[in-house]
Amino acid sequence: MKTNAKKSIMNLAPVFGLIVLVAAFLIVGHMKGINISYGLKSVINQSVVVAVVATGAVFIYTLGSFDISLGASVAVSAILGGMVYIKTGNLLLMFATCIGVAVLVALTNSVLASIFNLPVFVTTIAMLSVLNAMVLLLIGINGTGSEISVPSDAVAHLDNIPFKVAVLALYILACVFIFNFTPIGRKEKFLGGNPLCAQLTGISIKKYSIIAFIISGIGVGLGAFLSIVYAPTLTRSTASSVGMDVIIAIVFGGMPVSGGARSKIYAALIGAFSMTFLSQIMTLFNLNSGIGQIVKAAIFILVVFIAASNHRQKELPR
Amino acid sequence: MKKVLSLLLCIALCFTMLVGCGGTTNGDKDSDTKAETQAETQAETQAAETKEADVATEADVETEADNGIDMSETVKIGVLVADVTTAEALAFRSYYTQYIQNQYNVEFVYSDALKDSADEKSAIDTFITNNCKAIISFSSFDRMAQIDQCAKAKVYYAVATGTLTDEEYEKVKTNEYYVGAIGPSLDIEYQTGYDMAKYYLDKGVKNFAIFGGAVPYYTDMHIYRVAGMLAAMADATGADYQGAKGPAIVGKIYETADVKTGSIGDVNILGYVGGYDMDDAWFGKIAEVAQTSGLEMILAVGNGSDFFGTAVNGTDVKIASVDAYADSYGAAMDAGILDYMAGKFSASIGPIFAITYSAALGAPIRDNDGNAVALGQGYWVATSPEQFKEYYSVDNSLDAPAYDKADLDTLIGSDYATLEKFVAAYTFDEIK
Repeated sequence: MKTNAKKSIMNLAPVFGLIVLVAAFLIVGHMKGINISYGLKSVINQSVVVAVVATGAVFIYTLGSFDISLGASVAVSAILGGMVYIKTGNLLLMFATCIGVAVLVALTNSVLASIFNLPVFVTTIAMLSVLNAMVLLLIGINGTGSEISVPSDAVAHLDNIPFKVAVLALYILACVFIFNFTPIGRKEKFLGGNPLCAQLTGISIKKYSIIAFIISGIGVGLGAFLSIVYAPTLTRSTASSVGMDVIIAIVFGGMPVSGGARSKIYAALIGAFSMTFLSQIMTLFNLNSGIGQIVKAAIFILVVFIAASNHRQKELPR
Repeated sequence: MKKVLSLLLCIALCFTMLVGCGGTTNGDKDSDTKAETQAETQAETQAAETKEADVATEADVETEADNGIDMSETVKIGVLVADVTTAEALAFRSYYTQYIQNQYNVEFVYSDALKDSADEKSAIDTFITNNCKAIISFSSFDRMAQIDQCAKAKVYYAVATGTLTDEEYEKVKTNEYYVGAIGPSLDIEYQTGYDMAKYYLDKGVKNFAIFGGAVPYYTDMHIYRVAGMLAAMADATGADYQGAKGPAIVGKIYETADVKTGSIGDVNILGYVGGYDMDDAWFGKIAEVAQTSGLEMILAVGNGSDFFGTAVNGTDVKIASVDAYADSYGAAMDAGILDYMAGKFSASIGPIFAITYSAALGAPIRDNDGNAVALGQGYWVATSPEQFKEYYSVDNSLDAPAYDKADLDTLIGSDYATLEKFVAAYTFDEIK
């Protein structure tokens, strides 16, 4: 009984971590007299892209794999989406392009891995280089060559909190349903926990890795669209930090890097918002970026340590 | 037991870090000072100056300007910085946080490094959350979006060390929250490149290599500097660059974001490196260009001796560069590697602070037509180690910087004519 309670507490450590960070933000913010309502809006604005992309990426992490090209995929999808808007002036077409390109990239990753029988993360490393080169090429062939600018008026009506929260909520609800209430989620956890055993029971690792990448691709596409809505000027650096932020958010949210049965779909959401609250708190203390990064790293290690201490050394050999 | 112990250790580590880094505003100033002093690895003289600056307390800060402007309330100013680690960025930060912050009732809140326009927007959101009354921007991914965002939040916005393009300025000049820009205009960038090349052409140098910096990324200021260099070569020889002469060369570079090697009359461009790839191939190219047979001079739009210094060490090849008065460039000058430095001086961002602060205090300075300020300000050019040292000592002084409080006080709440005259006199001799 005591062990179960401890296990539950440890499982919820990232959630408690987020609650503590929110409380710290509100208390310190109140003491320093900041504009808290604006700050909360700002947190949502800064978290939403990473939260959406990371939520989709949980499906990949659940398989015990990872995709290093997510940030570059967001950039390419956003740039192509932006170029389509500039040519057509059609917002819906821009949205479809973002989703289509991201899913295509994800499919390429997973199908290539299947054809060459390689671990998926290997193809994502190659894809990262290809996508980075594509960003440079696409930026280079358009306009001045330094940027692609979607007119801010075109997306201004979407740059509001209700729209972003709605997109995030709908996508997360869909992912929660697939992850927790369909055979897809269960089989992916099984594959992540013990791939050999799962394959022996007839579960196709290729099929489920393709499904995982498609779901992740939809998240990347939504992230690309939301990136354009937030900052319509796209450059070679657009979304350059998203890839790393996604990895940090997922781990920060309590997702085991080995995937498997302990994977949590909500980890991405918790992690993305925790990171942003942490950054906001660092700013409240006016720490210079170097010290702020060290403090953030220490808190990150602490949260992950607590979250992982529940199941450390209890992994099945892989 | 082991687990509990390691958890306690981890908590202790975090706690000590937070205790060490947290504290009151004054404490923040101190930690900022120490971190930056370390980062800059400046000489002992600067450490001593820093110590003196730290001693200043808020009690020393005036609460009313000579012209009656109320300065009793602490004004928070956000500073957007794209690259937080360059010598130039550190010198600017030092001037604001170690000098200005101790002289005026202001608190500077710095952004982290910014990679794109989304980062800029997030940082501005954070500044607004923190009740910043004004923002000074060193970041230029999307200036128009920055100004728009600030105006919506009724926060003043100013451009430091640069200017808007004419087209951009036309769009925002009447925006009451756009304070303006003071820094090297694109014309000044062009002239800086021109003057650098002409200096060596007049000395009879014929064989050059060019480092184009961010030309491949279509960065305006680097394109204009390179165009100025090429224009000087064309003017000196009566020839042309790819069929263009003078300012028309700017357009030629924009076409390809590249510089063609070859001859302009009897002047030779023996090598060209652009970009900041920083990988093995890129450094290989740097070494190859630096060791080109017959090469006499490397003209760099920035970071010249940082990148080419090792490769040319021990040869007769010299470097000319545009950047800031940093320690490393002084060492390169002493070593005979760097021969010419067109550098921004750290206090050059004083006037933009003064007019931004002035606007935040309710005394905005506009031109005679009521438009935002747009003033050009050039570089200090050093062509000898002695001259460099003289400029460097003033530039790095926190006791008597190039623009001290007495200078800046004349601008707060002043008029456009006073500001224009003040900014125009930017050379070392005029200031000192």
